[in-house]
Amino acid sequence: MKRHQMALAATGLSAALLLSACGGSDDKKDDGDKAAPGASGAAGAPKDGTIKLVVADYGSGDGSMQKYWNGVISSFNEKNPGIKVNLQVINWDDIDKQVATMIQNNDMPDLLQTGGYADKVVDDLLYPVDDVMSPATKADFVDSFTPAATVKGKQYGIPFTSSTRQLIYNTDLFTKAGITDPPKTWDELKAAATKLKAAGVATPFGLPLGKEEAQGEFMNWALGNGGGYQTNGKYTVNSAQNVEALNWVNDNLVKGGLTESNPGTKNRKDVYTDFYGGSVGMVNSNPTMIATLKKDYPNLKYATAPIPGKAGPLNETLGVCDWMMAFKKNGHKDQIKAFLDHAFSTDQQIKFQEQYSFPPVTKSVMAKMTTNPANAGLKPYIDLLPKAKFYPLNDVAWDVLSPKIKEQLGSAVSGKSPKDVLDQLQKEAEAAVAQQKS
Amino acid sequence: MAETAVRRAPTVVTRVKKALAPLPWIGPAVLLIGVVVLWPVVVMVWSSFQRIRRTGIVVGSNGTDNYKKLFDEPDFVAVLWNTVVWVLVVVAITLVLSLFLAQLFNQHFPGRRFARWAMIVPWAASVFMTAVVFKWMLHETHGAINTLMVDLHLMDAGKDWLGRPSTAMPWMMAVAVFVSLPFTTYTLLAGLQTVPGEVYEAAKIDGASTWRTYLSITLPLLKPAILVAVVINLINVFNSFPIIWAMTNGGPGYETATTTVFMYQLKASDIGESAAMSVANFAMIIILVAFFLVVSRNKETDR
Repeated sequence: MKRHQMALAATGLSAALLLSACGGSDDKKDDGDKAAPGASGAAGAPKDGTIKLVVADYGSGDGSMQKYWNGVISSFNEKNPGIKVNLQVINWDDIDKQVATMIQNNDMPDLLQTGGYADKVVDDLLYPVDDVMSPATKADFVDSFTPAATVKGKQYGIPFTSSTRQLIYNTDLFTKAGITDPPKTWDELKAAATKLKAAGVATPFGLPLGKEEAQGEFMNWALGNGGGYQTNGKYTVNSAQNVEALNWVNDNLVKGGLTESNPGTKNRKDVYTDFYGGSVGMVNSNPTMIATLKKDYPNLKYATAPIPGKAGPLNETLGVCDWMMAFKKNGHKDQIKAFLDHAFSTDQQIKFQEQYSFPPVTKSVMAKMTTNPANAGLKPYIDLLPKAKFYPLNDVAWDVLSPKIKEQLGSAVSGKSPKDVLDQLQKEAEAAVAQQKS
Repeated sequence: MAETAVRRAPTVVTRVKKALAPLPWIGPAVLLIGVVVLWPVVVMVWSSFQRIRRTGIVVGSNGTDNYKKLFDEPDFVAVLWNTVVWVLVVVAITLVLSLFLAQLFNQHFPGRRFARWAMIVPWAASVFMTAVVFKWMLHETHGAINTLMVDLHLMDAGKDWLGRPSTAMPWMMAVAVFVSLPFTTYTLLAGLQTVPGEVYEAAKIDGASTWRTYLSITLPLLKPAILVAVVINLINVFNSFPIIWAMTNGGPGYETATTTVFMYQLKASDIGESAAMSVANFAMIIILVAFFLVVSRNKETDR
């Protein structure tokens, strides 16, 4: 009996030792990897070292993103055999949390590609773009990105992907309802939606004001009334124009039953899926829809048009941008520069933008893509890019405000008064600004 | 007295040795509990008093500001109320249904073994998966539940059950009850099987009615099992995150969020405030369970 217990304890103990031993050796190996390039970087040798590249996964988890970056890295290594690039591709939903953990543990990447950069500038973690990119590469970016990429006069954000918005509509349903032209104003939109409803269309206008992207859908409407999140650098979330826009949407579209039911809880994904299924008349779309329609729903007939505004179609639409950024911590300035100049070269960029059907971020790629007839569906979105309006992405308070808008805006079409909801969001914005200053 | 003291005095060292003897055996477990359970609690409480940037960098102490900000959230009271209703309703319904099911499963009937096995399924399946399946069954136009109800002419058209708090809450509670039933039923079933048959025989001889037997014999003897079931369910249901997250994300607004979901939502904008909510959650669950244990013990001594 006793011997039996001893044996058990011994097994347990050795198992525990084994586990901790494994952990220990792993840690050490990691440290070794990190220390070596740091030392060589400090010695000023630009050609050798390891940089850690962390990127978001835009694919559907099918490994295509990994493949794309491996291609960039291997072509980079043909020219720069001394610089090793450690690639880590992280799912879009998890990347911000995982990066926060990396920063907390002082295990920072050298290059990160994700949705926001401003919070990292405030904490002084990033290189200014001028330090890690040659002037020629930098000059190639589409100019409309620059304000959103710049904090206090210095550019930190490197645009990587972008997207703009267009109204997309199902032309079969439009014909069935007897509508010939896409709506240009809010009143025309309401009239068209009413006709679609009379023709038996389940969702005349898709309005995804749920958590996923309420801040984007709302901005489409605010811009249509001359509103927006900021005026002269100050938050004006509850401006008269914004309140009027949201009231119009709520009173005419939502209460009139012209949208899907309970739009405050519906996400883009839900509404887009229904559009693909043919039960949605029109919806504000992003360019990935065009790629999906082409690939998976070739029989659905559609067309795009500028987004209607109160008095006329928007010529400045919402632009969205995701960023690449370079971290100072490991001192790999020269290696980063070499890699970025390669990764943002026309050949590498065009592969990515065409594969995922995103509008380009550089002028050279834009020129190539717009002349390629295969991108005809994407062209209207690309054409909007030079005039696109971005969220206040260079303001760290926006990072606090954005999730609040996502969570709370849906209430404005679910029974609460739009003005109350926007007033509360304005308070959140002011509190966020105050907290950054303190 | 003195005699015993004298007798024990020289054995102090031995006693310490004896007390430490199990350490090699329980040591790893104690260490594990310390690292995996206690340490995170310490960090959680510490975080709730810090100002933490979204990048994860700790700026410094924030005093009690995180708590002030949390209690000043305009939706805080509503979320708290949601939580109270959620916990009470789900635990109460689970318990009543489980008492009934346990009684049923304690009878002999053909196919009992199969029925008992089937009862395990909601338990064996991942809660998140169950919630997602229910979410799709409740889809307005394609969901199985809506289609069935329309086909049976119970409704004219599908309903968007999860789009409104008034219908979303009952459905989510139903799912929470569904996944809580197996554990509760099995706990109570185990309790029922410890009740000796002679007691029932005696009651029968005394001419007690079925109801009377149940109220005066089964329920009191089942009390320890009920106690375990309620305490574990209180904790589980209070912490139940995946059901609400999968089905409504707490929306619209925060109207279907409980404090556990609210904590997660706060994390996107303010990590310190979210930590304060975690501490409040932790305190609430400890108070709740302690209160329940004290009340049930008092009753025991009364008797």
